[in-house]
Amino acid sequence: MPDSKQANDVASYAAAVRVALVDLPDAERESLLEDLENHLAEVASESDLSLQERLGEPAAYGAELRSAYRAGSDAASTRPRRLFRDRSWALIKTASSTQAYRELRAILPELRPGWWVLRAYLVVLVLVFFLRDGANLRPIPNPFSRLGLLQVLATLVAIVISVRLGRRGMPVSRVWRGAVLAVNVAIALLALPVLVSMGTGYTYPFSSGYSADPFSAASAGYYPGFTNIYPYSKEGQSLKDVLLYDQDGRPLVPGKTDIVTDVPTGADGLPIPNAYPLNERNPNGDPIVPPRVALPPRQTIAPAASPTATPSP
Amino acid sequence: MQHMNGNPIDTSQLLKGVLDLAVLAVLADHDSYGYEVLRRLRESGLDGVGDASVYGTLRRLYQAGALKSYVVPSDEGPHRKYYGLNDRGRGALDQSTKTWGSFTRALDHLLNGRSTANAR
Repeated sequence: MPDSKQANDVASYAAAVRVALVDLPDAERESLLEDLENHLAEVASESDLSLQERLGEPAAYGAELRSAYRAGSDAASTRPRRLFRDRSWALIKTASSTQAYRELRAILPELRPGWWVLRAYLVVLVLVFFLRDGANLRPIPNPFSRLGLLQVLATLVAIVISVRLGRRGMPVSRVWRGAVLAVNVAIALLALPVLVSMGTGYTYPFSSGYSADPFSAASAGYYPGFTNIYPYSKEGQSLKDVLLYDQDGRPLVPGKTDIVTDVPTGADGLPIPNAYPLNERNPNGDPIVPPRVALPPRQTIAPAASPTATPSP
Repeated sequence: MQHMNGNPIDTSQLLKGVLDLAVLAVLADHDSYGYEVLRRLRESGLDGVGDASVYGTLRRLYQAGALKSYVVPSDEGPHRKYYGLNDRGRGALDQSTKTWGSFTRALDHLLNGRSTANAR
């Protein structure tokens, strides 16, 4: 067979084999057929017969190549799994190539210092939560609580430590890397329930019915939902220094808020927290204006006709 | 391995299972290019082996990291891609040789047992 005719034979046979394997993934087909032309030329040079006469139909040759190349990795069973894996990879690659993802990736390192500050606050928050002694947790640092200043200081110290640790960078050792990651995740996870349970000034009715608040220290009733009570006589006269007690005889005291209360003191020197209306001021010192109330019209019927009157025997 | 012409056993099926071992054994002797591997397999008696099977097996073993490969320019014809065993290939050959040995011993035992039973 002349050289040119032989080269044509090789080229057309190889092309036909490629067509037969067109369903293989590109990379796999190329690695399989990388040397096909040279190999076929070698076969062709041995004889004057055409490649088709020597090797059979290109499609059959391709099928034999495929089964020899795929032998050992059972094609039928690995294919769907591989397809799924390829699809998943393609999906991840597509998602990670989007503009939004790239921008997010670019921003993340800049957010790192923010996390260093936040985690310091969260650590103090979690510590306060576990050391809080049963009292309802308020947003900390709470400048109106006894430990407010301490909490502010602790938060500042924690932020300094956290930022210094953060600036030092991740440790080289994989074990330490994992440990650092675990600690960060633990802080976030621990802080979540604490944040959820944290009061926001308004005290949740069921959380602490009788708390160890300084205001209600004398086993006083603890009544959320109001900050003051304005008693009026039925004549419409605003009453002063009305002492209120609940059904158990405990002094009625509002839930603790940021409002500043001047509590009168009794002859024994003890505060009287349930003398209404309370003398209250806003945290900034502004006086709290009593509400305007719509008094019911005066009862003109004689007291004896009152339905609540006790019948005399 | 002996010729099995005229035998009801499908030689091509047998070959499928042992072609890796046969190719590794040929290359353990000395490095060869694809067509030479085929020729040497046929010379050793495996005349049923197909060209595409040998070529595909070489490419697979190479992709699996069991073979080294290099191109040698040739004066007469096209460049030849030579294949040879690397450490991994030699390890695979040793392992497969042991497996083949125990397999043939077991089959020989079965066949010999049958022939002595028939002789009785």
